[in-house]
Amino acid sequence: MEDKTILHLQDLCVSYVQTGHEVSVLKNISFSLKEGEVLSLLGESGSGKSTIAKTITGLLPPSARIQSGTLTVAGHLCVNLTQRAILWNKIRGTVLGMVFQDAQLALNPLFTIKEHFREALITHKIGRASDVLPTAANLLKLLGFTEPGKVLSSYPFQLSGGMCQRVCIALTLCLRPSVLIADEPTSALDATSQKEVISLLKNVQRELGVAMLFITHDIAVANAVSNRVMVLNEGNIEEVGETQDVFSRPAAEYTQKLLAAHSIRTTVSAPQGLDAKPVIDVVDLNKAYSKNNSVIKDLCFSISEKEIIGVLGPSGCGKSTLAKCIAGIEPINSGEILYRGKNLVHLRGRMKRELCRHIQMIFQDARASLNPRYTAIQLVQEPLNYLNIGNKKSRKNKASTLLKQVGIDDAAKFRRPPQLSTGQCQRIAIARALTLDPKVLICDEAVSALDVCVQTQILELLVHLHMEYGFAILMISHDIRVLRYLCHRIAVMQCGAFCEIDSTDAVLSSGKSPHTKRLLECVYEM
Amino acid sequence: MSKGKPPLNLIAGIVIISVICVLVMGAPVFTHYNPLEQYPEERLSTLSKAHLLGTDRFGRDIFSRTLYGGRTTLASSFLALVCSLVLGLLIGLTTGMFSGTIFDIIVMRIVDVLMAFPFMVLAMIITALFGTSLMHLLFVVAIIWWVPFARLTRSIVLQVKNETSVAAAKVLGANTRAIIFRELLPKVITPILILATFELGTLILSISALSFLGLGAQPPNPEWGSMLADGRAHFFQAPHVLLGPALFIVLTVLGLNFMGEGLRDYLDPYEIIKL
Amino acid sequence: MCKTVFRRLIGAVVTLFCATLVLFIIIRLAPGDPIEIMLGRPGDLAIKNTPAYEARVAELHAQLGLDQDMLTQYGQWLKRLVSLELGTSIHTGREVSIEIAERIPATLMLSLAAILIQLVSGVVFGIVSAIRAGKILDHVIRLFCVFFASVPAFVIGLVLLMFFAVTYHIYEISGDANIYRLWLPAITLGLVGAPQLIRMVRANILSELGQTYIVSAISRGLPKKQIMRHALKNAMLPIVTMMALSFTNLIAGSVVIESIFSWPGIGNYAMNSVLLHDYPVIQGYAVIMVSVVIMANLLVELLYMLIDPRLRNRSRLERGLENE
Repeated sequence: MEDKTILHLQDLCVSYVQTGHEVSVLKNISFSLKEGEVLSLLGESGSGKSTIAKTITGLLPPSARIQSGTLTVAGHLCVNLTQRAILWNKIRGTVLGMVFQDAQLALNPLFTIKEHFREALITHKIGRASDVLPTAANLLKLLGFTEPGKVLSSYPFQLSGGMCQRVCIALTLCLRPSVLIADEPTSALDATSQKEVISLLKNVQRELGVAMLFITHDIAVANAVSNRVMVLNEGNIEEVGETQDVFSRPAAEYTQKLLAAHSIRTTVSAPQGLDAKPVIDVVDLNKAYSKNNSVIKDLCFSISEKEIIGVLGPSGCGKSTLAKCIAGIEPINSGEILYRGKNLVHLRGRMKRELCRHIQMIFQDARASLNPRYTAIQLVQEPLNYLNIGNKKSRKNKASTLLKQVGIDDAAKFRRPPQLSTGQCQRIAIARALTLDPKVLICDEAVSALDVCVQTQILELLVHLHMEYGFAILMISHDIRVLRYLCHRIAVMQCGAFCEIDSTDAVLSSGKSPHTKRLLECVYEM
Repeated sequence: MSKGKPPLNLIAGIVIISVICVLVMGAPVFTHYNPLEQYPEERLSTLSKAHLLGTDRFGRDIFSRTLYGGRTTLASSFLALVCSLVLGLLIGLTTGMFSGTIFDIIVMRIVDVLMAFPFMVLAMIITALFGTSLMHLLFVVAIIWWVPFARLTRSIVLQVKNETSVAAAKVLGANTRAIIFRELLPKVITPILILATFELGTLILSISALSFLGLGAQPPNPEWGSMLADGRAHFFQAPHVLLGPALFIVLTVLGLNFMGEGLRDYLDPYEIIKL
Repeated sequence: MCKTVFRRLIGAVVTLFCATLVLFIIIRLAPGDPIEIMLGRPGDLAIKNTPAYEARVAELHAQLGLDQDMLTQYGQWLKRLVSLELGTSIHTGREVSIEIAERIPATLMLSLAAILIQLVSGVVFGIVSAIRAGKILDHVIRLFCVFFASVPAFVIGLVLLMFFAVTYHIYEISGDANIYRLWLPAITLGLVGAPQLIRMVRANILSELGQTYIVSAISRGLPKKQIMRHALKNAMLPIVTMMALSFTNLIAGSVVIESIFSWPGIGNYAMNSVLLHDYPVIQGYAVIMVSVVIMANLLVELLYMLIDPRLRNRSRLERGLENE
């Protein structure tokens, strides 16, 4: 059986024009896609993988320049992408279909799902008007909906993220494209939804025989989904080949680096001799945003000195809120939070700021937590300025020392966040948090927004600093792999309460609660 | 914030406003006539070399009256707007920071009531009961004009309050004052300034409309509004009498609108895929 | 949703009460004897000392209840307002409510015509401007907008009047409110309010065009017309609230325009009354205007809740679709 090539891209070169100068984003990209196969475009942010998808569907912004490139789709057309006037409407939808990262935003909030389908099918004159609903219903059933009728008459805001994504996939497939391009389709979903959507996507791809271009930054997902994989780095193709071959015997150095960064987090960290004295005690914590909206219910746990404890849970379970409550940024409804025996809950003003300096926090969006108008060294001195500690010289010295420890060199010291990478921003945030010599460091999804390689660097940095300074770490994450690497104990959170809290080993190997088991099932292993 | 080339309308606006300010402030340089001096022989004469914008019904030179009157009009409008801006900013900041409290609820109710009074209606009532004068109009402005600034500030503060930058600052030990000055105000300043340019234009238009109808500045003070009221009586015979003040009003507001739009384009342009 | 509607209604009523209270306080704060204010200020001592005058003073004294405390006075005044007893005009001696009622049709005619012109031109030029964003047509439209937003309403009115009435005698200068005289003041008022609407429509459409669902629709190969339909539906929703804002500007504009074109509406009447110090008329005008503004805002809010499915289906959101 001959595998027909359904899509071929040749010598694609794209650059963006930003404030005067041109930045090359894709350099001589060529690849083919065979009928019915799944090819993953694997790469970190900035590698150009999304740009490839946007180029072949003509969705690039006006600031992009295509220098060269030819697109061939078997049986339909051969397009020189540098032309100004390309008849995109012949390609979009019926030949190349696209699924976007944020499904809820990809649907018009004022149109029902029914109207979306009707519009797509009637515009492309696929079938009669009376066939619209049955076609849509059948596709939705393929994507796991048991009551397609109900879904069709809903508005997008009435559906969850996972449901919206399945609807979007059905909507794209109803036009019978030859190739389905999925641009990070599950990155915005939580672990359980992600697993569900990916398995449904695989099923429907196999059944309909649609070739798929799957764009992702997650190695494990690429491994689970694709036949072949193409590794991209800064606009260059590092490696292309069968998935199993590439991941078991990586030829390119970059691929090896990616795999190493991913696999380093499969070993469980050994528990060290821990101090029995608790540094943080949470007693009967209750928090609700309104009468019916209880976020944390009767939570009790403690953190020992120098302990690293992780909180695992899906989005919306209340773990971020818990972090903010302990850090003192969110008020609580009832309960106590004790720092070395002293209750923090009712403190105000100066007293609060004096005690809370011992509990510090770093955030998911490192860039947002830094004021863009100040330089790195000014940012690290911020807390010393706020609390009036030391004099100008001592503050500067402390900041310099810390910056060196987190790996920010002298050149970067005087740059501002817009000129620094996300990884560097997070390092500065860590240095800033350590300025006050805290005894507890809360990390609220601190590495979730970072690329895999950078994630590993930051995690290693945290371990290193933990050993040197001896602070306790409360790590909030939805990613089991991160917690597996870092933590002594893991607490599994669901709907505002801990369903399980035990040593990492115990939780991950023989998770007692069904909820933990479900979360563990959703992890893709290599 | 994209910092490309400043757009054309921003430059045009700044140029126009600068020219008007120079003319108005340097009035003695540009005209040798006394704005109050009458030349009855030359009443209602049209534009000529001697009188650039003609004379009014008392024979006073319109060009000089426009320039000197501009000082009153522009200075008072600008001052009224600055006061409204500051008041609105303060109220918006406090209600935003303390949203949900009784203070916030009361202020929001007051805003609702104030918004039920159109500026025109309130101005008519006040001038009917207390007398017609520019001061009374500015008093009405003071009561009403802070509302758009307060609402804008409040909505921005409500949004920024929940952002990571403020959470980070709180954790690091910043007190409320530090948060307001380092995190909130920088994000509020730009939209408020853009709004201020538009509101200043609206203010000048509203006051001149009321003065034209006879409710604002009274003659013989040279002030654009009162000059309009003056010239209304003889408009059909000698339309040029309104030309001076009307032209300057239009140019000032035009310049302000250009500046406002230009600032908006400069700081927040749209990037759209070609269809 | 019924709960929200109810809350809005109560809010509007409370605002109305507070607004009338504010009016009452302003009127009482005015310098001078309230009775003298109501009767007009006779400067002639002779008139003041006649028995007829004294009788009227006594009558008004009882009517206004000046010997009672402020709260009772306010209550009585409010009661009279509700039964539309707005007092008697000093100038003509007729009932204020009758005078105003006679002139409402004229103002209504003008306002509706102006709103129509504003809406049509706003939507049409806003859409054109958005579709051709960045091109010459867009710049021309935007230039027109900036220009007409900078020229005072009375200047536009006077210039048009000069042109059509004085120079070309097309337009009749009289005090009638008939359909033949409607076009010029309506166009003027429309021109004054259109720029704001055009700008808003353009901005809304452009911001919608940058949203993900538009990119998604484009990726499905939908033609330009369909894409615009998507963007327009979302962009037009806030226009409804915009109309509420421009309503307040319309009131201000109509006073000026009616004055210039001698259009016998309530704006013109109120303005003349201010200059004649006819206080009962101004008071009545203020009360009516404030009530109308509050009601218009309420209606617009309710209308918005009706047409936006996100607000309509708030309760459905909670009951939502369970695990599918």
